[in-house]
This record gives sequence, C-alpha cells and structure tokens, in this order.
Amino acid sequence: MFLFPFFWMVVSSFKPTSEVLAIPVNILPKNWQLDAYTNLLNYSEYDFSRYFLNSLIVTFFAVLLAVVLCTTAGYGFAKYNFKYNNLYFIIVLSTIMIPFQAIVVPLFILMKNLGLQNSYLGLIIPESLTAFGVFLMRQFFYSVPDEIIESARIDGASEFRIFWNIAVPMAKTAIFALIIFHSQWVWNLLLWPLIIISSPEMRTIPQAIALFSGVYFTPYPEQLAISVLACLPLLVIFIFLSKNFTKGITLTGLK
Amino acid sequence: MKYNEAIQQKGFYFVLPTLVIYGIFLIYPMLSAFHYSFFKWNMISESKFVGLKNYIRMFGDRRFWNSYYTTFHFTLISILIIIIFSFLLALLFQEKMMLKNFFQSSIFIPVILTMVAIAVVWQFMLQSTGVFSNIFLDIFGINIKWLTSKSITPYSMILVNVWKITGYYMIIFIAGLLNVPQIYYEAAKVDGASYLQRLFFITLPQLKNTFILAFVSGVIFSFAAFPQQYVMTEGGPARSTEVLALLIYKQAFEFTKFGYSSAISVAFFITLLVFSIIQFKIFQSESTY
Repeated sequence: MFLFPFFWMVVSSFKPTSEVLAIPVNILPKNWQLDAYTNLLNYSEYDFSRYFLNSLIVTFFAVLLAVVLCTTAGYGFAKYNFKYNNLYFIIVLSTIMIPFQAIVVPLFILMKNLGLQNSYLGLIIPESLTAFGVFLMRQFFYSVPDEIIESARIDGASEFRIFWNIAVPMAKTAIFALIIFHSQWVWNLLLWPLIIISSPEMRTIPQAIALFSGVYFTPYPEQLAISVLACLPLLVIFIFLSKNFTKGITLTGLK
Repeated sequence: MKYNEAIQQKGFYFVLPTLVIYGIFLIYPMLSAFHYSFFKWNMISESKFVGLKNYIRMFGDRRFWNSYYTTFHFTLISILIIIIFSFLLALLFQEKMMLKNFFQSSIFIPVILTMVAIAVVWQFMLQSTGVFSNIFLDIFGINIKWLTSKSITPYSMILVNVWKITGYYMIIFIAGLLNVPQIYYEAAKVDGASYLQRLFFITLPQLKNTFILAFVSGVIFSFAAFPQQYVMTEGGPARSTEVLALLIYKQAFEFTKFGYSSAISVAFFITLLVFSIIQFKIFQSESTY
C-alpha cells in the first residue's frame, strides 16, 4: 500500500500518454516504452540536464558548507571555554525556532541587495544553515576525551591540527549522518529556489518540476519520468546506505 | 581551571564563521521581518511607514484567518494520525515476521522521495480520472472529489503528508523501543502482566520523551508545509488548502505586498515560538518527577 504511488509513478513513466489517461485503469503498461524519457531532452523551454547539474552543484556545496560550519562551531562550543561560550551557543541554537518561511521576504531583499539573485551562491548560503547540525556536532564532540586533545597540545600540535587530525576523524559517524540528512533536505527544497531564481537556466530540479507540472493540467508520462529521475539520486543513496540512513535518523532524532 | 586561559579563548575562532553567517543570513532577516512589517512596500515605489496598519489589516483579514485555521487543521490532524500510526507500526515490527526488512523499507521509501515529485504523482492519482480515484470508486462505489471539494481536499493533503512522513517516525519509535530495558518486560512477565498492561505501564511511560520529540518536530515540520500545496492545489479549492507559508509567498511574490507579507511572517514566527515555549514548559515540569 505504501509502495503503490511510487510503483505507479515508475511504471507509468514507461507508458504512452493514452495509457496514462486510460479508463478503466491498467496498472502495468501494455507496451513498455522509453519515449517519456527521451522526450524530456527535446523541450526547447526546459533544459532538464542543466537543472540536474544545478541541483547537484547546489546540494554539494551547501552540504559542504554546512559540514564545515557545523563541525568547526560544534567543536569550538564543545571543547573550549571561551568568553560568552554559552551565550553564543544559545544565540545559534535559537535560530532553530526561526521558520524559513518567516524570513523568505527579508532574505530575498538582502540577497537582491548583495547581487546574489540568480546565482549559485544565493542558493547555497541560506540552504547551508542548520542550527540543528551545530547542536548535533557539539553533542558529538563532547564525547571526544579532553585528555587526547591535551596530550596533542603537549606534543606541540596547533589547535587547528588537533581539530583536523584528531577530532574530525573521531566524529565520522555524526558527520556522515549530517551529510545524508542535509543533502536530502537541500535536494528537495522548493520555496527558496522559487524566490531567488528567476532566470530559466538557474532552476533547480524541484522548481523545474513544479513549473513543468503547472503548465499542463493532464498527466503526461514526461512529468512522471522527470519525477522518477528527481527521486533517483536519493533512492540510490538509500539502497546503498540504508543501514546508515536509519542510524542517522536515530542519531539526529534522539540525541 | 585545568587549561590555560589563552588557549581556551582560541575556541572563539572556531565559532566565529558560524556566528557571522548565521547572524547575517538568519538573525538579521528575522529582525528585518519585524521592521518591514511596519511598512507599506512593493519593491518599486518608495516604502512608507504605516505603523500597525499591516497588523490591524491582518487581524481583520478573513483570508489570513482562513490560512491560520487551515495550517493548524493540517498540522494537528496529520501529526495525531502519524504518531499513532507510526507507533503501532513500530510495535508491529517488534514481532518476528517474514520480509520484515522489505516492509520496513517500503514504508520508509516515501520519506526519501522528493516532495515536489510526490506531489505531482499524487495529484495525478487523485484527479477524477486518476488511478486512486478509480480504484476507490471500484472498491467502495463512492466517487470522491479528492482535489475539487472544499471539505475533502484538506484531508487529501493530510493523506499525502501522512503517507510521506510516517516512515520517519516509525524509525524513531523503533529506536525508542530498543532503548527500553528488556529487564522491565521480563520482570513484568514474571509478575503475570498482560501485553496491554506491559504496553500501558512500561512501554508508553518509557517512550514519553520520544513521543514529545515526535510531536514537537512533527508540528514544526507540518506547520511549514509548502511544496505539496503549491504543486497540488495552489491553495484551492476555495482557499481550503491555502496554508500560511503559501499565503506569505503569494502576498509577497504574486501581489508584491512585502510589508503585509512580513506581518504574516511575524505572526507565523510568534505562533511557533509560543508553541515551542509551551512545549518546553511541559517538558520541564514533566522531567522534574
């Protein structure tokens, strides 16, 4: 029952248009065909391979930036006792309560003033922010024993080397969970691309699907084909890493 | 103090980039939203200070209250169904069964599918000529207007939401159940407690934190729903699925009322804030036992 919509999406993307619309419904295609997929390449006003590339670039760099910020900040908060540590942490953590929907308008104006409209950077920066990730990494770095850090200091290692060569490798599991969850989140975002991107060649995949499906009211196998393709990267990750996936949820969900 | 003071201060440099970037791109925009909400502004002409006018207008705006109600309705009903459903599934998966991994994965798969893609698929399936409508008609003999009836469409939205995220909470509950010490159950069994007694007196109290967590995160998640409504209904029919996020988007980027849209954003923020504080209070008072 849970798989049915997914199943229907996949099989119907191999049907000709007439069969997608046919009543009574036939679930499996009578004649399998790849037309929907090949047709995707032939739209003059939609360049889907470009949108895929955009989504990949944005997801990659947004996740990278998220990992850099969350690990450094998490480490700093967990392992140092600098002035106003707690105050700063509370400030960062409180941004969890800022719903993205509530700041889209001012953020749009800010990005426009910075000249970042229709740019990768305009997509990447806001999508890399996750106070939850900072919280997760801080919790994780608490479990790195102070003694290890201290003995490295005595050996003369710089603070950054200790972080990079000792703390980061120990936090692999948490970083991995952060990567999986954040890439899933970024890949699927719709609202922010809709707002910040107006030039067609900068569209992301979810944005393109939303526009593409809005133009035609009746179901076309092409719309299903692009939906299948949009889900594919995350599905592949899930199939290969399903153990880490569920482990990641329990780690991010419960700690 | 074990460490010397100068080294401790160096930690600040690890935190600094995050402080700066979160400050500029999250905290500053939030404060700006408050600021803009006192202005009338359409991005083209000069902005004009209007005091509380946007808020006065908002409180009298039936469209705003409709969205507010729609969002609450969508959130609360979704969450109640999702929590009960996913908890029951987690209980079920405690038992030995055939193809357990396959069933678990199939329930989890919707979680990782792209929301926009899913919305497109469900939209097709729920159309009057769609596969879901037709199967439903064949089995129950009722023709339901899944996407065109003011009273039913909000529930179609809930259906899709439940389908999409139940698997996520199922995993959380499965993990929660694994954390309950087995020794409690063994002791209860020795004392002759029935399955239901064990469920009510051991499992549920032990999972209290998991339930609270599921509720809080579920509310925050569903309250922010946007792609689903944007793709499937655009807020219709008769604005019955026009959730707050969609209203904020429309007011700003379709009607170019940036000031008014900011006022709604502030209301949205304060609602979630109040909700979080209430949750926090409940959580605190309960954990003092």
